[in-house]
Amino acid sequence: MVGQYDENVLPDMLPVYYTRLFPQNLFCRWLSCGNSPQPLSNRELSFTLADDVYLRYLSINNQKEFFTLLQKKCPHKLDIGAVYNTKPSVGRHDAVVLARELVFDIDLTDYDEVRTCCQEAKVCDKCWKFMVVACEIINAALKDDFGFQSILWVFSGRRGIHCWISDYEARTLDSPGRAAVADYLCLIMGGENQSKKVHLGSDNLHSSIRRALIVIDKYFDDIVQDQEFLSTSDRLKSFLKMIPDEALRKQVQENLERMPTSSIDRWKCFVNNYNQFCKENLHGMRKMKYLIEEIKIQYCYPRLDVNVTKGFNHLLKSPFSIHPKTGKVSVVFKPDNAKDIKLDEIPTIYTLLDDSSSDNVQHQTNMRTAVKNFQELVFSLEKAEAVRRKTEANTSLEF
Amino acid sequence: MEFKIKRKSVKTVTTGSLVDVYPHDLQMYKIPPTDNISLQEFESLALERLTLLRCLATATTLKGLRIFSEEWTDFVISDLKNQGLKYYAKLCEKSGCGTLQPDLEARRKDHIAHFILRLAYCRTEELRRWFISRELELFKMRFMTMKTDAIDSFFKINNLCYTNISDDEKNELIKYLRESTFYHNNQNIENFKFYKVKFYEVLDLVKSRKVYLRGGYAYIPHKDFISVLSAQFRMLLRQSLAVACHHLGEIEQDERLVSLLKGLHQSYSGNDFISDTKVTVPIESLDFLSAKSFPLCMKQLHEHLRSAHHLKHGGRLQYGLYLKGIGVTLEDSLRFWREEFTKIMELDKFEKQYAYNIRYNYGKEGSKKNYTPFNCLKIINTNVGPGECHGCPYRHCDSGILKNKLKGYGLDAQAVNDVVDMAKKGHYQIACSKYFDAVNKTDLGLGINHPNQFFEESQKLLKGDIKIEVKKEEKSNIVKTESNNIEDMDFDEITEWKE
Ligand code: SF4
Ligand SMILES: [Zn+2]
Repeated sequence: MVGQYDENVLPDMLPVYYTRLFPQNLFCRWLSCGNSPQPLSNRELSFTLADDVYLRYLSINNQKEFFTLLQKKCPHKLDIGAVYNTKPSVGRHDAVVLARELVFDIDLTDYDEVRTCCQEAKVCDKCWKFMVVACEIINAALKDDFGFQSILWVFSGRRGIHCWISDYEARTLDSPGRAAVADYLCLIMGGENQSKKVHLGSDNLHSSIRRALIVIDKYFDDIVQDQEFLSTSDRLKSFLKMIPDEALRKQVQENLERMPTSSIDRWKCFVNNYNQFCKENLHGMRKMKYLIEEIKIQYCYPRLDVNVTKGFNHLLKSPFSIHPKTGKVSVVFKPDNAKDIKLDEIPTIYTLLDDSSSDNVQHQTNMRTAVKNFQELVFSLEKAEAVRRKTEANTSLEF
Repeated sequence: MEFKIKRKSVKTVTTGSLVDVYPHDLQMYKIPPTDNISLQEFESLALERLTLLRCLATATTLKGLRIFSEEWTDFVISDLKNQGLKYYAKLCEKSGCGTLQPDLEARRKDHIAHFILRLAYCRTEELRRWFISRELELFKMRFMTMKTDAIDSFFKINNLCYTNISDDEKNELIKYLRESTFYHNNQNIENFKFYKVKFYEVLDLVKSRKVYLRGGYAYIPHKDFISVLSAQFRMLLRQSLAVACHHLGEIEQDERLVSLLKGLHQSYSGNDFISDTKVTVPIESLDFLSAKSFPLCMKQLHEHLRSAHHLKHGGRLQYGLYLKGIGVTLEDSLRFWREEFTKIMELDKFEKQYAYNIRYNYGKEGSKKNYTPFNCLKIINTNVGPGECHGCPYRHCDSGILKNKLKGYGLDAQAVNDVVDMAKKGHYQIACSKYFDAVNKTDLGLGINHPNQFFEESQKLLKGDIKIEVKKEEKSNIVKTESNNIEDMDFDEITEWKE
């Protein structure tokens, strides 16, 4: 368990972790590929030190320098920024951002209005399922729709996941392009004052939405049971607000209130109600054509922090860095395995460095798997980069 | 770009060659004109095009019409006719390849006028943005009114060759194409030809999920080529404005031109609500001021901040810049936010995480730009996420909630209904103006296009500035509307492609 460890020992443990366990070599290779054709040194790194001193515009020329820098500064937090046209430094305000991985940040705090098991910084295996759904949906869209290959998924260290796309096309995408990708993936919209946040209209459903719904359906019953969306009168109230038609809403309310509190049964009853209502009101169903889908999406679809994706030089926590509050490692995982992740099996710096810890063996294994996942991605990225450079050289010869 | 200005116009081009130069009503304006024209013609062409572009802006912002909708296009065309710009009306109504003298004349004017305005609008980033947005609207509108044969010849003339995907590929994908392509129910997708372009060539379609994507390619039918074209047109304009700006020096050797070009946009620049000379507003008076002089979007943020002692990023930005605009000093601003935030967090955390942003708003950090408060257009079009309460309440509130809010503020039933009705119809700014009248007890019917304008107008009323000159007041507002759009129309923003 994390709680029994003391943040104060971090300064002693971090140098050991960085030397023995942090995959420095892979890390530098991954970044180099992501920089190309710019040199590694043009990438901004940023460190947060023990007493919250914040260093920006750091850069490294090679792995050796990286090692020295880690030893010297021993950062509590390690973030990665953009690739500039020159070596980044504090004084250079004329530096231009040339590239940056396309990134996604999904955080469970953005699910606070739907999750009922935890709030704010808390997270448990129940709400982790939201992340599993998010990862599967986004990963499929990035691969199938946008054709991206080098997609890295990382546990954020506490209550969310990050995604880094290193394909050349993604790295060099301009900001309108990033904004368009983010908007394409964003279905939940609306603030505090809007109860229904998903509007799918009444035309055909876009293929990407259909695919997302298939993923949601795999987990939906589970999540409904875990979260009990409909079990208390407050939750029921906010659920009912999503039904735009008054007649249907009344009907559903009466029926559900009469039932036992099990959310899954209530949900099924609602679906029957809705279907019945559709049959009886063939007209006037236009605005509710996709009501079931809309509600499922509002409950389960990924909630992206779009500003992180749209921004070109947002700093984002590095893979394999340690979360200063939880001590957890930002492990790399495969999207297919997201569903098997158990939060307390995620290695922490404390258990990894403490042979006597009961979790030590298992955490070591999981750490090795995470490094292997990272390695696989870096290898295939390097291959793709080589191919790209070769074709580029060929085409430039031709002209 | 060369313009040789003569006192008297000399027609050097004959009809025969005009057909060659201007084969089509719709142009990409790739080559600058080399005609000799008189200063007089230069001036009138410039003013006429300016009228045309303003007319587009009016249709969207003042009339509140949905861009590219039928009503929108109708308004533009009839307004052009009313203003005596028949040739533009005709170019916009149905672009084609006619070869009659008036057709050719119109194209020549269109061509030259576009290039004149490039010179007038290349000087600052804001002017460029405004110009590009309007020219793009114009281009899209004209493309949309074109018949198929006119489109075909447009492609030929501009050397745009794309090959459609094979029938096999189409049949294999037809299910997805049908699901994901945006088309009208009365059209038969089986008859469409589909083309494959990279997804980043049609960002507006990607953004609104109106195209099928697979492996990085977008599959677009013929009609959606407007997306590819306007993306190219935008790029072209952007680059050529930069070039034009570089060469301004040479052109401005001619005194007459300098005053003309400068005058053109000066008649056009208005208040951007960067406050420096204005009175300062003490933060102690904000509660009082928010009752009558804050538009709902700001009142809502103010109240949320007071009750929850926190605002998310979008809210801090929208409200912070607004406060700056009404005359709250940086020192006061820091104090104001600090007092609220520290009710729920340590002072240390506030100073570390939030104070920077406030100084940033005032241009004291980061890129040190003096940021201007957001106008309505920007606020209305902003994305509001879960847990956030910025944006424009007429757009981002359920009508039930909006109704209760307004009732809670003591508006009478009639006024509440009027406002909510307008909001439901999508006329957010008109709803806002009705709210203005209700809380300030007048019937000015202002065109609200900036929250800071709302504030200033309300203050004027309270201090008794406005007497009987209501009409004049309205007029000056129209000018404001357009000029304020300049600075906030985001250069990189993709205007949504609604049909
Ligand atoms: S119309 Fe403008 S001023 Fe009025 S509430 Fe909306 S954004 Fe604010
Ligand atoms: Zn939980």
